[in-house]
Amino acid sequence: MVRVTIDNRPVEVPQGSTILDAARALGIDIPTMCFMDGCAPSTSCMICVVRLGPSGKMVPACATVVEEGMEAYNDCAEVRAARVMALELLLSDHAGDCMGPCQIGCPAKMNIPEMIRRIGAGDTEGAIGVIKDDIALPAVLGRICPAPCEKVCRRSQLDEAVSICFLKRFAADADLASGSPYKPMCAAAKGRRVAIIGAGPAGLSAAYYLSRRGYGCTVFDDGEKPGGALRNVGQDRLPCEVLDGEVEQIMRLGVVFKTKTRIGRDESMEALCNKFDAVFAAIGKSTPETAAELGFKASGKGIAFDAATYQTDRANVFVGGDLIRNRKLAVRSVADGKEAAEAIDQYLSGETLRGPGKAFNTRIGRLETAEVEAFRKCASSESRQQAAETGGGFGQGAAVAEAMRCLHCDCRKGDDCKLRMYSQEYEVRAARYKGPRRLFVQENSHPDVIYESGKCIDCGLCIQIAAAEGERLGVTFVGRGFNVRVAAPFDKSIAEALTAAAHRCAEACPTGALALRRGASDGG
Amino acid sequence: MDGVDLTFVDETVGRVGTTADKVLEILQAIQSHYGYLPGEALERVCETTEITPASISGISTFYDQFRHSPAGKHTIRVCVGTACHVKGAEQVYDAFHRHLEIPAGGDTDPGGLFTVEKVACLGCCTLAPAVQIGEITYGHVAPDSVASVVEDYLRHQSSPASSRRAAGGDGIGAEGELRIGLGSCCIARGSGKLNEALQGALQETGIKASVKHVGCVGMCHQTPLLEVVLPGRKTFLYARVEPGDAKPILLRHFKVHGLGRKVSNTVSNLLDDVLAGEDGDPVVRYSIDVRDRQVADFLGKQKHIATEYCGVIDPVDIEEYIGKGGFEALARCRDMDAEEVIQEIERSGLRGRGGAGYPTHLKWSAVCRSEDDTKYVVCNGDEGDPGAFMDRMLMESYPYRIIEGLAVAARVVGARRGYFYIRAEYPLAIKRMTAAIERCRVRGLIGEDSLELKIVAGAGAFVCGEETALLASIMGKRGMPRLRPPYPAQRGLWGRPTLINNVETYAMVPWILRHGGETFAQLGTATSKGTKVFALAGKVARGGLIEVPMGVSIREIVEEIGGGIGSGLRFKAVQVGGPSGGCVPAKLDHISVDYESLTSVGAIMGSGGLVVLDESDCMVDISRYFLEFTQNQSCGKCTFCRVGTRRMLDILERLCGGEGKKGDIEELEHLAMMVKQSSLCGLGKTAPNPVLSTIEHFREEYEAHIEKRCPAGKCRGLIRYSITDECIGCTLCAQHCPVDAISMRPYEKHEVDVEKCIRCDTCRKICPEKAIKVE
Repeated sequence: MVRVTIDNRPVEVPQGSTILDAARALGIDIPTMCFMDGCAPSTSCMICVVRLGPSGKMVPACATVVEEGMEAYNDCAEVRAARVMALELLLSDHAGDCMGPCQIGCPAKMNIPEMIRRIGAGDTEGAIGVIKDDIALPAVLGRICPAPCEKVCRRSQLDEAVSICFLKRFAADADLASGSPYKPMCAAAKGRRVAIIGAGPAGLSAAYYLSRRGYGCTVFDDGEKPGGALRNVGQDRLPCEVLDGEVEQIMRLGVVFKTKTRIGRDESMEALCNKFDAVFAAIGKSTPETAAELGFKASGKGIAFDAATYQTDRANVFVGGDLIRNRKLAVRSVADGKEAAEAIDQYLSGETLRGPGKAFNTRIGRLETAEVEAFRKCASSESRQQAAETGGGFGQGAAVAEAMRCLHCDCRKGDDCKLRMYSQEYEVRAARYKGPRRLFVQENSHPDVIYESGKCIDCGLCIQIAAAEGERLGVTFVGRGFNVRVAAPFDKSIAEALTAAAHRCAEACPTGALALRRGASDGG
Repeated sequence: MDGVDLTFVDETVGRVGTTADKVLEILQAIQSHYGYLPGEALERVCETTEITPASISGISTFYDQFRHSPAGKHTIRVCVGTACHVKGAEQVYDAFHRHLEIPAGGDTDPGGLFTVEKVACLGCCTLAPAVQIGEITYGHVAPDSVASVVEDYLRHQSSPASSRRAAGGDGIGAEGELRIGLGSCCIARGSGKLNEALQGALQETGIKASVKHVGCVGMCHQTPLLEVVLPGRKTFLYARVEPGDAKPILLRHFKVHGLGRKVSNTVSNLLDDVLAGEDGDPVVRYSIDVRDRQVADFLGKQKHIATEYCGVIDPVDIEEYIGKGGFEALARCRDMDAEEVIQEIERSGLRGRGGAGYPTHLKWSAVCRSEDDTKYVVCNGDEGDPGAFMDRMLMESYPYRIIEGLAVAARVVGARRGYFYIRAEYPLAIKRMTAAIERCRVRGLIGEDSLELKIVAGAGAFVCGEETALLASIMGKRGMPRLRPPYPAQRGLWGRPTLINNVETYAMVPWILRHGGETFAQLGTATSKGTKVFALAGKVARGGLIEVPMGVSIREIVEEIGGGIGSGLRFKAVQVGGPSGGCVPAKLDHISVDYESLTSVGAIMGSGGLVVLDESDCMVDISRYFLEFTQNQSCGKCTFCRVGTRRMLDILERLCGGEGKKGDIEELEHLAMMVKQSSLCGLGKTAPNPVLSTIEHFREEYEAHIEKRCPAGKCRGLIRYSITDECIGCTLCAQHCPVDAISMRPYEKHEVDVEKCIRCDTCRKICPEKAIKVE
């Protein structure tokens, strides 16, 4: 046995153990990407570096064999800085988006590519579930949203953006017309109540997501019917029936509406704050007077609140929508409602109030010409479907055809990528280093796996696995240095190179470079 | 492409063997036969050997030597080593591209005649900028001379010089000896042609003198050197001898037998002079006296141990080596315990000459102690540092000494098999070592029963100088370093204990054992014992291969041995240790050359390349140059080296391109520190040294680049050329400008069209009036 310390904690491990083994014995979590049990350590990614005392040497924990009396440090500033840099360097040579540009562009951060895949596969019901995870009023927004998502859609660099808004509207309309519209699973009732002031898009959205989280919601509005500013859009653009239909879906979750009730006049804010566990105020564009009615401190810049959590200086009062925004944008209000619901949930659950947080994301940025062509191969070459303006949106055929135009920029391993996970954990800056980088390339020959070398971190796990499985061709490092790539020998395809080992390789891949297909429609 | 005849592949496999470690040798044979690696040929190799498709693809794309597409009929290899770089290799490379009208992004001219490649370092630093076409090396190539180089080469191809048989050169009844250096530099400077001319002249005149080929004399700045040794008389040394000088030199020193011959010689001599037209007495012009101050200075400080009998001994003459005490050390250690030999090495204080300076005896005893019944010894001859050519010279000039050193080591550690890993760019070294091993075998000095030696030719990968990568390469893998420990002494070739030392380290061993470790230890400093061989090149007046006791100062090397800066400009710095080393500024030239002192100023001993820089050299550009090199040579395994060096290079390229911004220096330092600290192997850990040392000593130059100024006038993105009133209208610049950026206006002041100007510096070099301004 060998005695060592990690972060000053002593442990005894068998001769030949690595620092990583010793850390695991202590329950210390050292991050690894290129290392996998059963494979030889390749000491490539260097995320597992630890510092040795007293020499100060930085060594990879996965391959450094312990020696008697060795002192290793995992939790220290030097190690953290090295890991941050390793991640930032890898990301500087990474061609891939964690989330599609559309999802980043959407204020509500809706998982648009997934919605499109469902529509493309004919699974409209699945699509509405994806939509409603982020947008409570898709049929409404499907008519009035200026679609910031389409402005950043990568397909527009090829021809025209995917008609995302109409696809969403298609799914939402189909859902409302189905006779049994989508009803989400709600968490068990928590016995806590939230008052929502204002039944506009922010208020309706907050009510919907708070209900899904198990809170009892009452919505106060001085109007005749719920809808707020949405009632003023006009019948031609937003027919009342559509709005009523979606409000009804919110009511189905048990939300109580008290219309023709103006807080500050019919009922005091003070009373409301006492009666309810939390209050969400979304009364739309306000004047200093209307703000004062609710007891908000308002300066020339507007109401004082915490931008990350929507919390005001009264701890249980949260705000959102046009009340806190200069620009009127329904989808932004819908996003506010959803995000404030999450913040209120944190507040009422006694958690640290962080707000919705921000998922780590890398983005390719400006495409090189070769990349435009690579993306072109990922989708149908049809031009953008035109929706019949009258009669409203896409029919099934047009919707599927349009869905096929999506490039699926989002990562197949978005939720299962070690590079992303550690980048989030170490709070790295994806664009810290700029310079020449590998290109986006998609190898689409294999029936089960897709290979995108732009996301590869050259860990070589797939090379080892393919060799161990006895693949006739297998994969190998091609080239050297900065230009080294994992590829099949002799310019053969991945389909020829990886047969029996394909699934294991995709599962072992620490990033989205080698990933299982998401379904028949994936990758063109 | 269709129908590659694969018979050669099958023959090669039959000859070389089918095991996985034969892959490099097979690939090298295929490449040299087909000119590239045809895909069909590689697939055929996989069908007929144990080599897998993954392995052959990985290996054939790892090494620079291999091409996957057909090349032009001839390959022009432009050396971009450090010495060549500072003397304008980049411009020469561009000039070849322009002259041959090679399309952008390509490397071969439309007619398929020439392929132009950059090569890391030809190791002919004193000829900088050097260019190799086929087997011919051209020295001092300038952008405006590329056309004549190409022309000369083609002429040479169409009428290959008839190889003349030596006549009076057999030594029988010789009246004297003519010593001619045949190191790579000498040959590149024409000693091969001179040799032919001498043989011809001997035949013609009937003079009986023996021509002796000797190894490198070290005075590369004076090559080709011809030494005339007359028994009992003074020795004459001629420098920079042209083939045409051969006969006059002979006639000057030797009696011609028979009157008729004398007359005809006189006549032809006269004719020659008339035809040559100029330079009345070329011989006298080149004659130098060994007592001459310059020569005395060059040789004075030197102490020859690894280079013992320099300029005297015939590299491949085994009898001469034995006659001068060769193989005595090996014989002596046959009567000694392994421990005793190791103690002797320990007493000598010998440390590894490859760069890191690890005590040699510790390595030896580690392998010696190991109880494994199979052990290996390896000689690292993969000298890849641009600006270094010591090991090439040692292998070309003293192959037996290196073999003896390795044989001693093998005996001590108990190894029966030894490998010489020699980089492919050194064909002459490979040839001489091969011949020397063969002669040792014939002489019974080595052989099946005692020690089996094999040469493995590298294939163009700097990282293979790193010991774990080198061993991987010998085993037929990509040259990827791995984490140490385990050290090769514990687990080396095929998992067995392996002793690996550098060429120069082995070359020191015979001397140490003959003279005793103490004698060796008397030379040098407290911690750095003995001598060190350096390749002195760059802006120094007298470049060459030198061997000096450890502890001499930088100033002594540059000023006394090297004769200071040749151009008359100010001495600025010495780059020591190549891409792993750093720049020692002129103000620190008092520091002593030993492992510790050099490290203390941010350089390293490295393998021993010394490139002298003057005030026209930009330190940011030097830094960029080295990063470009290491970045390109990184194996690509670990993140810090693969991506980190690239990001450092990005910043340096921005600075040199005039796009530097505030904070760049700090960012560069941060990256450099982290890459140094966290890279896996020596390449990555030392790659930031050139950057860190130049930032430390020349920070103001970096700052100037951020302000879009290059004080040395070197960075093409930051400078512009103009012509001052000094211009006399001689039109030389206009005639030589490769892109017609200067219009010809006789007797008028010329002007540079900055739009067209490619900043190749040709005009400034050619201007007789110094009227070209660079700012």
